[in-house]
Amino acid sequence: MERDTLTDDDCGRFAALVHDRVSGTTGGASQADLDAHLASCAACRSLLADLVAMRGAAAGLPDFTPRTEVWTNLSQRLAAELAARPRPIWTGARVALAMAATLVVAVASSVWLLRGPSTAPVPQASAVPAGAPAAAVIQSPKDLVQDVDEHLRIADEHYAKAITGLEQVVKGGEGALDPALAATLAKNLGVIDQAITESREAIKTQPNNQLAQTSLFEALRQKVALLEDTVALINVMRKGDQAGAAKILGGLSKS
Amino acid sequence: MAMTPSDRTEANRLDRDIVQRCRRGDLGAFEELYKRHGSRLYTVAYRITGSAADAEDLVQDIFLQVYRRLDSFRGEAALGTWLHRLAVNASLDFVRSKQGRRQRVTDTAEDLDAIAAPANGPWRPDAALDRMDLDRAIAQLPPSYRRAFLLHDVEGLEHHEIGESLGIAEGTSKSLLFKARTRLRVILRGRSGVR
Repeated sequence: MERDTLTDDDCGRFAALVHDRVSGTTGGASQADLDAHLASCAACRSLLADLVAMRGAAAGLPDFTPRTEVWTNLSQRLAAELAARPRPIWTGARVALAMAATLVVAVASSVWLLRGPSTAPVPQASAVPAGAPAAAVIQSPKDLVQDVDEHLRIADEHYAKAITGLEQVVKGGEGALDPALAATLAKNLGVIDQAITESREAIKTQPNNQLAQTSLFEALRQKVALLEDTVALINVMRKGDQAGAAKILGGLSKS
Repeated sequence: MAMTPSDRTEANRLDRDIVQRCRRGDLGAFEELYKRHGSRLYTVAYRITGSAADAEDLVQDIFLQVYRRLDSFRGEAALGTWLHRLAVNASLDFVRSKQGRRQRVTDTAEDLDAIAAPANGPWRPDAALDRMDLDRAIAQLPPSYRRAFLLHDVEGLEHHEIGESLGIAEGTSKSLLFKARTRLRVILRGRSGVR
């Protein structure tokens, strides 16, 4: 007579084999024993059928989709990590122009966010009623990306102008510097110029390359900082302020 | 739908290409990587921790870890396998650090009634098992059972791998899986009994 409950000692022993079979780990000899038992035991056949169905369903459980905010937060954390990374090419001058740096990082982060995979519906500019105040007009993501690109271009120009001005001042006062020191400063500027060139080339081939953009602005900041220090050094040397010169040189060697 | 071998080859080729671009600092490629694997990793974290908020934090941590460690990915295993392992380990570490000793005491108490609980209704093994029901039933398991079941029957790890991941003997993993399946069967029979 067929058993239909798992109370039998045999069923207890075979239950483990049933689980092994579902896991695909039953050995050859025990396989034959199990088959013989299953032929006469409805309860163990039911157990096997249940576990097979359960395993099949478990293997096919669907994935869940994380909220859009997960990517947004991740991209922000990634941008912050990249911004905080040690400079890859040069280990040079101290960080200056903190406000400018903040602006550039903020703009760069916006680029990253705007180009991120936002799936949330974004109101279109055309949806704003005619006659609405200008401040209420919501820009489309495309417009915002163009805006950010424009800001980056302006920031680049700003740095270029500052650098040109500082370079002229340095050129006019180089005679005040010790020749060896002037050579060292020129060498450091050359390293930074090389980094600027490489970053620009990377951006030319990959305009959305965030790392290259960050590297470019970091290099520009470094160049401005070094030129500012050089101008300050020229000024104190002209005044014969040895203590002031030592202080500036100390700051340069630490950076 | 299951992937064919040629789908897998194409997916692996795409993954390798994305990894190369990520290594060159292309963050757009990293976004693609997230799009391709984010749901899978989030699901692993969600099922192991049982919390959407924790899974969201974890998936960010995992991807940051991926970004930092891409150079150590040798390409010997498929990228998906490597990512999956990172997600499983990170989720288990999280659960261990969060729940610690309190959880182990609870698990021991819950072990006692796992086998004794009677099946209280006819399950319809001939009917397709509702995956939502299974997901809900898994959530009701004691944590140690849930982890063993998820790692073996859902994520496809072998018992020796589960043993290594959880810091338990291979036999303990088998025992936990046995109890987990038995408990799930009880829960699912109870659920179908009230239909």
